[in-house]
Amino acid sequence: MSTAEEQPGPSKPSGSATDEKERDDRTFECNICLDTAKDAVVSMCGHLFCWPCLHKWLETRPTRQVCPVCKAAISKDKVIPLYGRGATKQEDPRNNVPPRPAGQRTEPETSTGFPGFGFGDGGFHMSFGIGAFPFGFFTSTFNFGETRPSPAPRGTPQFEEEQFLSKVFLWVALLFICWLVLA
Amino acid sequence: MANIAAQRIQREFKEVIKSEEVAKCAIKVELVNDSFTELKGEIAGPPDTPYEGGNFVLEIKVPETYPFNPPKVRFITKIWHPNISSVTGAICLDILKDQWAAAMTLRTVLLSLQALLSAAEPDDPQDAVVAKQYKEQPDMFRQTAKHWTSVYAGGPAKMPELDDKIRRLTDMGVEEHNARVALSSYNWDLERATEQLFS
Ligand SMILES: [Zn+2]
Ligand SMILES: [Zn+2]
Repeated sequence: MSTAEEQPGPSKPSGSATDEKERDDRTFECNICLDTAKDAVVSMCGHLFCWPCLHKWLETRPTRQVCPVCKAAISKDKVIPLYGRGATKQEDPRNNVPPRPAGQRTEPETSTGFPGFGFGDGGFHMSFGIGAFPFGFFTSTFNFGETRPSPAPRGTPQFEEEQFLSKVFLWVALLFICWLVLA
Repeated sequence: MANIAAQRIQREFKEVIKSEEVAKCAIKVELVNDSFTELKGEIAGPPDTPYEGGNFVLEIKVPETYPFNPPKVRFITKIWHPNISSVTGAICLDILKDQWAAAMTLRTVLLSLQALLSAAEPDDPQDAVVAKQYKEQPDMFRQTAKHWTSVYAGGPAKMPELDDKIRRLTDMGVEEHNARVALSSYNWDLERATEQLFS
């Protein structure tokens, strides 16, 4: 085992700790205001910005939406928000800036394929087929307008669509089970 | 001035001062006022160009909407270049207009201007007379640009032949800079320059 002094890489004499910290901070600088990125978003080309800064840039050049760094095509819908631990919601949302675009969550694929469907041993449909199923089902189906706490970010078109699809799916499942019971 | 503009210029100012180009004396920026709205830039003429050895001073005005809009830059030092007005110092460079991007900095602007001195774009001219000479009489253009560099930017070139022609005109009562412009514009043809000045 070699000692620290013999290790390859840049040597770090004592007192360079602040330099190093400065360099670390600079890695996360917004490419527009050159300050540490607040409400950070990253473009598809990988460039980091504060959302208010990027939004203002896109607003300044509505006909020419390019990345301020590499000039790749860029759009409001194609930036990814970065959620650092304990980093969000500390900042006042600035005036005239819409909320930062929400992240898009896709649930991991469950392995239940169609052949297993409907035989009662898959965890998925049993979970709503027993007990409180009708109540839970009806409440979740008919409260479109109501705001419920939800783990997924609300308000995006994708979110609405997913909600709608899952309701359609529940109806189909219900009809299928009724058919099984009656047959 | 909008907070973001002033704050960014301050950061950039430090960045330029620390940059290796400053260490090599290739670029420089200085504050003109305390509010970071106006700066003075300097670029060294790039090697192997008629501008070599010259030092070119720039006026940089930072708009309130910076960095979302580009800084306004012009040459204070008189220069003979197809993309820079020999009269006003106005610059024709895409990044100072529609190709500006908010991540560009004073440093990248100064380096781009230096690159412009190395590689003119005569098909997108700011000064039509210079651009025509650049395309049709490249040797004459180089001579003229070198002469202007030595006169206005402290370049090293000595060109007694051109100085003589200017003296012929100043002896006739023409102001020196006007004489230089006329001669430069007419490919140092003394007769045609005289004709133009006294017509
Ligand atoms: Zn920013
Ligand atoms: Zn980019």
